[in-house]
Amino acid sequence: MTTVIDVQNLTKRYKDKLALDGVSLTIDENTIYGVLGRNGAGKTTLMSILTAQNFATSGDALVFGERPYENARVLSRICFVRESQKYPDESTPTHAFRAARLFFRNWDQEFAERLIDDFQLPMKTRIKKLSRGQLSAVGVIIGLASRAEITFFDEPYLGLDAVARQIFYDRLLEDYAEFPRTIILSSHLIDEVANLIEKVIVIDGGRILLDEDTDALRGRAANVIGDATKVEAWAQGREVIHRESLGRVTSVTVLGHLDAAERAAIAADGLDLAAVSLQQLVVRLTQNASSSASDTAATITEEVH
Amino acid sequence: MIDEGRPLFLQIAEAIEESILDGTLVEDGQAPSTNELAAFYRINPATAAKGVALLTDKGILLKRRGIGMFVAAGARSILLAERRTTFAERYIDPLIAEARTLGLGPDDLAALLRERSAPIGDAGSTASTEGSSA
Amino acid sequence: MRRTLNVIRLQLINRSTFLWTPAIVLGAAVAMSILVYVLIPSGEPKYGIAAGQAPLWVFLSIGISAMTLTFPFSQAISITRREFFLGTMAAAVLGSALMGGLFLIGGALEKATGGYGLNGWTFYLPWLWEAGPVGAFAVYFTLALFFFVMGFTGATVYKRWGAVTLTTAGVGLALVVIGLVFLATRLELWGQVGVGVAQLGAFGLALCGLAATVALMGVSFLMFRRTLP
Repeated sequence: MTTVIDVQNLTKRYKDKLALDGVSLTIDENTIYGVLGRNGAGKTTLMSILTAQNFATSGDALVFGERPYENARVLSRICFVRESQKYPDESTPTHAFRAARLFFRNWDQEFAERLIDDFQLPMKTRIKKLSRGQLSAVGVIIGLASRAEITFFDEPYLGLDAVARQIFYDRLLEDYAEFPRTIILSSHLIDEVANLIEKVIVIDGGRILLDEDTDALRGRAANVIGDATKVEAWAQGREVIHRESLGRVTSVTVLGHLDAAERAAIAADGLDLAAVSLQQLVVRLTQNASSSASDTAATITEEVH
Repeated sequence: MIDEGRPLFLQIAEAIEESILDGTLVEDGQAPSTNELAAFYRINPATAAKGVALLTDKGILLKRRGIGMFVAAGARSILLAERRTTFAERYIDPLIAEARTLGLGPDDLAALLRERSAPIGDAGSTASTEGSSA
Repeated sequence: MRRTLNVIRLQLINRSTFLWTPAIVLGAAVAMSILVYVLIPSGEPKYGIAAGQAPLWVFLSIGISAMTLTFPFSQAISITRREFFLGTMAAAVLGSALMGGLFLIGGALEKATGGYGLNGWTFYLPWLWEAGPVGAFAVYFTLALFFFVMGFTGATVYKRWGAVTLTTAGVGLALVVIGLVFLATRLELWGQVGVGVAQLGAFGLALCGLAATVALMGVSFLMFRRTLP
C-alpha cells in the first residue's frame, strides 16, 4: 500500500495548551479513514496542519512525500472542508461551486448537480442566508465533487439531519467505489460511520490512542453482565476498561478477544455476553485514558496493538 | 442486522453463504459484485471485497474475467460440510447450556426434539433419521 | 501562474464585489451630490469630495472581507497563500483601475456639462486635473488600491494578533502622523511641504502614494504568510 501521508512526531503547542503531542501515523492511499475523538482532542489541528492551514511547533508532516506548505503541487490534490466553513461575502452556492471548479482538476460538475438535487440546495440564495443544514450541504458537495486524491471531511455534516447524513454516506460510498481515493473523515457519530471506515484513528488529548483496522476492532472488547461476584471473579486478571453496577448486577467491559470456549464458559456460568460497538469501545477507551494516569493509557495502547 | 462484535467482512461472507444454502444464489449462477454488496449493506467496498475474497479462497465463489463473480459449482456441498462440522458448537452447545439453566437434562431435550421435529419430519427425513439414531 | 490567474477569476465570480458595488455606491453618491448642488443655488463653483470618497470605504470593506471570508474559503479549495495574495491584489488593481476609469468618465462628463449645468464638481477638481487625465486617474486608482490594501492588512493583523494589537497599531500610526504634523508645525516646514506638493503635482503625489501602497503590500504579505484562515 502506498503511503500518501506520513506524520512523524508532530507536536503543536499553544501558549496554554498542548494540542498535539508527538503524533506519528501514516495514511495509505485509496482508503477511508475515520478520525475519532472528543472535542478538543486535536482532530482539527491535525487536519489543519496536514493541509498547511496551520503550522506545527515541531515534527514533520509529509503529504505525497513533500511538505504541504505553499506547495501547489501537493495542495491541488487535496480538499479540506471544515465545519462552519466560510465563504466569500455575498456569495451563493453557484459562486462557491464555480470557484471550486476552477481549482480542482478532478471536479465533476454533473456529480455536483446530482448532489445539489439530492440535498435540495437552493442555488441562488446567498450562503449567509442558508439554514445550517444547507450550509453543511455546500461543504459536503464541494468535498465530494472535488474528487481530490485526499479529501478531508472535518465534521462538515454536523448541520445535516439524519436523512441528509444518510444521503451523504450513501453518495460517498457510491462515488468511492467508482473513484477510489483517500478519504479522511472526522466524526462524533462513530456508530453511523463505523461501516464506512476501513481504518480507525482515535486521538485523545493530542495523542494517538488507537490506529487500527476497523474490522480488527470489532470483537476487540466484550461486555459481560451478571451477578456481581461471578463477574468480578471472571474479570480477574483481565484488562477492564469500564465497570458499572446496579444492585447485585455488574457490567464490565473488558479488552481482549474471547474465543468460543470462553464464550461457552461465560454462558454456562449464567452470565450474559454482549458485543461492544465501535462507538462504545472508543468512548470507554477515551474515558479510561482520561481518568487514569498517563502510564495506564500507554499500557492500553500497547495492549491494543 | 449487522453484529457489532464480529468483523464485518466475515458477516458479509456469511450472508452470501446463507443465500447459497437457501437457494437464493444458485451454483454457476451470478453472485453479487463487490460494489453491489457495498451499496446494499451500506459498507465500505473494501470490506465487501474482503468478504468476497474470503469466499473465493474457500472455493465458494469464483471470478470470471470480464463478466463478474459467480457461485462455484459444488459450493453448496462445501458449505454443508463446513456447517455440519460446526453444527454442534454453534447450536448444540448453547442449547445444552440454556437447557441446564432451565433444569432440562439430555433425555428431556431428546423428547422435545422429537416432539418439535414431528410435523416437518417428512421434509427433513434423511437428516432427522440420522440424528435420532444417536 | 495559471492558478494565480484563476484567483483573479475567483474574486470576480461574484461581479458585485469588486465591480458593481463600488460603481453603484459611486453613482449613488454622485446623484446625492447633484441633489445637494441643486439645493445650493449659488453661482460659485461648488466642489464636493463626499461623492468621490464613498467608494473608497467600499474598497476598505472588500479588503477586509477578502481576508476574513475569501481567504478561509481559498484554503478549503487548496489555494496557496502566495497564489491567493497575488491574485487578490491583482483583482484589486483591476477594480481600482475601473474606479479610476469611472473617475475619468465622470470628470469628462462634468467638463462637458459645466458641472451638470449647476457648476457643481465632484470629479473635476481643478488641482487634480492639472496634470491631465493621467494624473486624475492615477490619484483615484491609487486611493482605491490603498484603501483595499489597508483593509486587507488591518484584517490580517486582527486575525493574526487580535483586536488589541490592531488597535494599538492603529493608535501608534495615528500618533506617528500627529507627531510628524507637530514637527512640521514646530519647525515651520509647511511652506516647504507646500512647495514640494505643488512641484510633484497630482501625478507625482499619486506615484508616491502608489509606492507607499506597494510597500504596504509587501509588509502585508510577510504577515499574511503565517496567518491562520
